[in-house]
Amino acid sequence: METLVGLGDGLVAALTPGNLMWAFLGVVLGTAVGVLPGLGSAMAVALLLPVTFRLDPTSAFILFAGVYYGGMFGGATTSILLNTPGQASSIATTYEGHKMALAGRAAQALGTAVIGSFFASIVGTLIVAFFSPVMVAFALNFGPGEYFALTVFSFVAVAAVVSGSVLRGVTSLLIGLAIGVVGIDGQSGAPRFDFGSSVMLDGINVVIVTVGLLALGEVLYVVARGKSAPDFAAIRTGRPWLSRRDWKRSWGPWLRGTALGSTFGPIPGSGAEIPTFVSLGLERKLAARRARRTGDPAENEFGRGAIEGVAGPEAANNSSAAGTLVPLLGLGLPTSATAAIMLAAFQQYGLQPGPVLFERNAELVWTLLASLLIGSVLLLVINLPFAPLWAKLLKLPKPYLYGGIALFSVLAVYAINASVAHLVILLAVALLGLVMRSFGVPVAPALIGVVLGPIAETEFRRALAASSGDPAILVGSGISIGLYALVVVAALVPVIAGLRRRAAAKTAQTDGPEREPVS
Amino acid sequence: MTVNETGKGAPVVTEPGETTAEAAEITAARAAAETATPDPETAPWSGPARWAIPALAAAVGVVMLWGAFTIEAPTNATRPGPGFVPGVIGALLLVAAVSLVVTGLRGRTTGVSNALTWFETRPVLIVLAGLVAHIVLLEFLGWLLSGALLFWAVAFAFGARAYVRDAVVALSVSAAVQVGFSLGLGLNLPTGILGWGL
Repeated sequence: METLVGLGDGLVAALTPGNLMWAFLGVVLGTAVGVLPGLGSAMAVALLLPVTFRLDPTSAFILFAGVYYGGMFGGATTSILLNTPGQASSIATTYEGHKMALAGRAAQALGTAVIGSFFASIVGTLIVAFFSPVMVAFALNFGPGEYFALTVFSFVAVAAVVSGSVLRGVTSLLIGLAIGVVGIDGQSGAPRFDFGSSVMLDGINVVIVTVGLLALGEVLYVVARGKSAPDFAAIRTGRPWLSRRDWKRSWGPWLRGTALGSTFGPIPGSGAEIPTFVSLGLERKLAARRARRTGDPAENEFGRGAIEGVAGPEAANNSSAAGTLVPLLGLGLPTSATAAIMLAAFQQYGLQPGPVLFERNAELVWTLLASLLIGSVLLLVINLPFAPLWAKLLKLPKPYLYGGIALFSVLAVYAINASVAHLVILLAVALLGLVMRSFGVPVAPALIGVVLGPIAETEFRRALAASSGDPAILVGSGISIGLYALVVVAALVPVIAGLRRRAAAKTAQTDGPEREPVS
Repeated sequence: MTVNETGKGAPVVTEPGETTAEAAEITAARAAAETATPDPETAPWSGPARWAIPALAAAVGVVMLWGAFTIEAPTNATRPGPGFVPGVIGALLLVAAVSLVVTGLRGRTTGVSNALTWFETRPVLIVLAGLVAHIVLLEFLGWLLSGALLFWAVAFAFGARAYVRDAVVALSVSAAVQVGFSLGLGLNLPTGILGWGL
């Protein structure tokens, strides 16, 4: 009850015409920046931080909320339309989203993404408002051993969504992990793989890897394919609205994605990548099972543009974004790049997030939560009508479209530190991306390796340092044992399914072709 | 500029309101999209190019293992030192490389395979040349000119041949980026020779 009153007061404080204008501006700016490759919501918020110095805290947070959600939607837009996600959290959307666009269902993919994001951020924000003390208590249970288990779990979760050979997925992950160890070792201070270059000492920035593998790598891959590349001009954008069947197939993934995002979001370090991939894998499994049960192969559209594969990950992405506010507000612990910049914004107003924030600055916390609600409503109102319009982006002449992507890729990397050496690394990573794509090695696992590898290493060594070398600490709690159990299950399921399929194929060969495969 | 003619579906004459026609249209478009994009992630490798990925994995693995034995840990470092994780990654990469070679040797050569026959080297080299030129010239020519050069090179590689119009578009996009980021967001992009007179 107290929560409702607080949230109501926050809404009253936030709902002024001036603030609505800031929210509107934020959503538009965030979407515009998010659409550019490599410039995700974190970059959008960072670029706007100096602008907000002159605003009062309420307006500034409302602007941030708008930019944040707008940026995330913008990232989904390019994932779906161009197969070039702006940030790691929208990679999972590319798998089915881009295939939907190629099948002429770009507007539906954007529609289910924006409605799912709206639903997930409303629910996610409400969960934060009502349950943050409980969630903070849960997150505090995570020690180094548990974090390490969580990263191992996410590595396996990524392998589960690789469409082709698992071996290629593992190779990709290992290459990503290798990129991740470059630079000064955070634990001991020893330089690793710097090859005498001072730029390499800082490690290879995640933005460079994202832009190189995903955006610039895609440009090189598309130009290498020449005439065999999909022709966007021939794609009909089709009817802009979701059909009843689309709605029926979307609401389940929205709910499940929201639940996954809200669970993983508050855990520091997990980021939005894990829940999006878990959601994609889950929806794929469920669709396969549905098709088997009903005997209707049309129920499983995965691999050909399944709307479930967009609805689930996008909902997971947005609810985990709301979830990252829990450690930020409750512990003062930023768990994502965007959260770190939000923390800077708090400090700009002389506020120190932490356990006492809810008591001392309750008014402002409620205003922030209320502004997140307003931001997501505006995102829906502004971007849903524009979904068909965004889909028209595909109608741009291809040379100009990819010229623009290349230009913005270079810009995003140069903007990190105004360093030409970063551009050289970008070129090398883009070439790696081209080679991997040409040989059909999935690039998503490599990116996950770069993002989560350093976290995994730090937590692993921190855990062993704390136990003075006793590996028992890695399985020292119920949480980590539970996660490893999930890892074993996730690793065994494809193996068993493969064995059963092979056995079934063998019996089918001897018994005749009519027999149905068992798995 | 050229337009690719592949993957174009049959012309549609039905009204968009009818659901059955809509479904048929979607299926047709999807079939067209599928034939246009064979999924290389499931196709086995063939030809001499099939050793490229195992070689890449092995090379990275060797570098990681070399690092594991040569990285000097400070004397006060705790026991799994800075070389431990690179060593594990390197060993696993070598295992992965061997497994890739084994599956490549045992692989069925029937069916669709990926021998990189579709790979068009010339446009890729043009894009790469554009990128290298951009990187080399960025601080000398400034963002406006080197950015426009990159845009123009990529557009050329994608088959744009209206040189003057392409150049105008390239300069406009590059200028819009510079103005938008310098004035709007305070991010300074190099002005190069154009800034010397100021």
